[in-house]
Amino acid sequence: MAEEFLVATDLHKSFNEHKAVDGVSFTIHKGEIFGLLGPNGAGKTTTIRMLATVLEPDKGDVTIGGHSIKHDADSVRALIGVCPQELALYEDLSALDNMVFFGRMVGLDGKEAKEQAQKHLKMMGLEKRAKGRVAKFSGGMKRRINLAIALMGHPELLFLDEPTVGIDPQSRNNIYETIEGLRDGGMTILYTTHYMEEANRLCHRVAIIDGGKIIALDTPHNLKKKIGPPDKVTLEDVFLKLTGRSLRD
Amino acid sequence: MQDKADLAFSLLLPIVIFALMYFAFGGASLFHGTAHVVNEDEGGAYSTVLLDQLEAIEEVDVELLTAEDADQKLANSDLLMVIYIPEDFSQNLAAGEPAQLLFKQRGNGGDEGQIVASLVRGVAEQINLQFQVYNEVNLALAEYDVPQENINITVEQYLDQERQSPTVAVHEETIGSSPDPVNLFLPGVVTMFVLFAITISARAIVEERRKGTLERLLTTRLSVGELFFGKFLSNISRGFVQTLILLALAYIVFQIFTPLTFIECLVIALIFAAAASALGMVIAAVARSEDSATWIAVFFTMVMVMLGGTFFEIGKGSVLYTISQFSINTYANDAFKTLIAEGGSLGDLGLELGVLAGVAVVGLILSRILFKVMPGGK
Repeated sequence: MAEEFLVATDLHKSFNEHKAVDGVSFTIHKGEIFGLLGPNGAGKTTTIRMLATVLEPDKGDVTIGGHSIKHDADSVRALIGVCPQELALYEDLSALDNMVFFGRMVGLDGKEAKEQAQKHLKMMGLEKRAKGRVAKFSGGMKRRINLAIALMGHPELLFLDEPTVGIDPQSRNNIYETIEGLRDGGMTILYTTHYMEEANRLCHRVAIIDGGKIIALDTPHNLKKKIGPPDKVTLEDVFLKLTGRSLRD
Repeated sequence: MQDKADLAFSLLLPIVIFALMYFAFGGASLFHGTAHVVNEDEGGAYSTVLLDQLEAIEEVDVELLTAEDADQKLANSDLLMVIYIPEDFSQNLAAGEPAQLLFKQRGNGGDEGQIVASLVRGVAEQINLQFQVYNEVNLALAEYDVPQENINITVEQYLDQERQSPTVAVHEETIGSSPDPVNLFLPGVVTMFVLFAITISARAIVEERRKGTLERLLTTRLSVGELFFGKFLSNISRGFVQTLILLALAYIVFQIFTPLTFIECLVIALIFAAAASALGMVIAAVARSEDSATWIAVFFTMVMVMLGGTFFEIGKGSVLYTISQFSINTYANDAFKTLIAEGGSLGDLGLELGVLAGVAVVGLILSRILFKVMPGGK
């Protein structure tokens, strides 16, 4: 078993009276793609925001690479890359300038930032659009840039918050292939989605989250096996069985 | 400053404002008035001469009115002064009798009326002089049989020569363009410019929030303090560069600075831009949308401009004066006026510079604290 790279312990977060995350605990091993699967509003994004040091948990803690998000957030931020659910780009800048800028923000010098930016743009199939203004890009291309920025600085742990929402099949496939390449390269990834096929295809283990709580956590194969033959049932069936409703409700 | 068009506009704006100032204050003469005249001696030789000479004055336009019109306008205060040329004006002069012009005016005739009246008096004196010369020459040559036409030509030549090379000449030397209005208005224009930094700073954080880049930046190695300080510096730079352009143009064209006062003005502009930017950051820390940031900033900007002496002086001792001491614009305006209009130096501006620098430091710290305690802050 690989070492535990991320350990989340009893995380709680409320907004006013609403409990967005209610006692979430899990671990992610080095080199693992860990899926957080749940419907909209289940608490996936709030969990990621806490793990990425943007939100402070009301209770509980997380260690990443041995560093606490509460007590050593700077060290945590040096290990992570975040691809937020919403596009986080400067539309007036070119793709290359966006990537170089965020590269500088994660501590790369100008030359390194440019080299990495060009490499990641090539990986995303956007090297020919490097100097194009992001504002002119399609939604799928923006999503790819959004992901590419998260890779700047070669983070040890990547948070991907629904990176394929609302995009064309070509861009989605490109993102899948990129993530599979990262997985094969040994990168540790936390992946949130409400698409079953993504979780099934990409993740080593999946935690199903609903109402701010993790209600099941295992490999996709084992989760499906609990309710029937794994080749006959889907993760959607698992969710339906566990909660009594569909993931898309 | 990610948008090149935005950058270009930022740099162009002070040039446009300066151009407006130049056209407003840069001409050789500031006065241009109208002489409202009722000519009851229509067709008279000497009234025609008078009107021609009035029309030859560059600063004065002549508007002829009927007596009824003029009386009505004077009665309604539509005009403050009218010049009447009486019916017997030319006849009297031709007969060697004294003639009179009549100035009808409300009160003192207003500033314009007084200046026009003084110009008309000048023309009348010239005509008097002309008559005196003619009379004296005619008198001296009365016993000789010199044709009147020759006398007229010789006198006219003498008068022309006298006009071109007067015994007592006034020489005008222009040193740059007329500077006084610039001295008066430049401090206000500069401070208003810098105050726009409040609005731009106020939007800095919410714009990042709307784009989603704020959250992304907060997951990098950039600390919130560094983020705030970076935005603060960027806004100071914009305000300062714009002010630099404006002051440099004023220096070159209006020549109202010495090299030292120019540098001193830049120091004030820098500290004032820091104070304005810090206030903007305070608004940025509490605003939740670009609209709210803009409107809060516009409110504070307008109040500070009003209270800061940009548009009107506030008398010492009044309640408004006490309130105006809470406007950073007051201190910046005072500082610029001391340097530009009163010939002071930075050494005279301890209070003003201290207040502005204090606002910059306290504002920046306060903005950081507010960002931490506000919902969704960090």
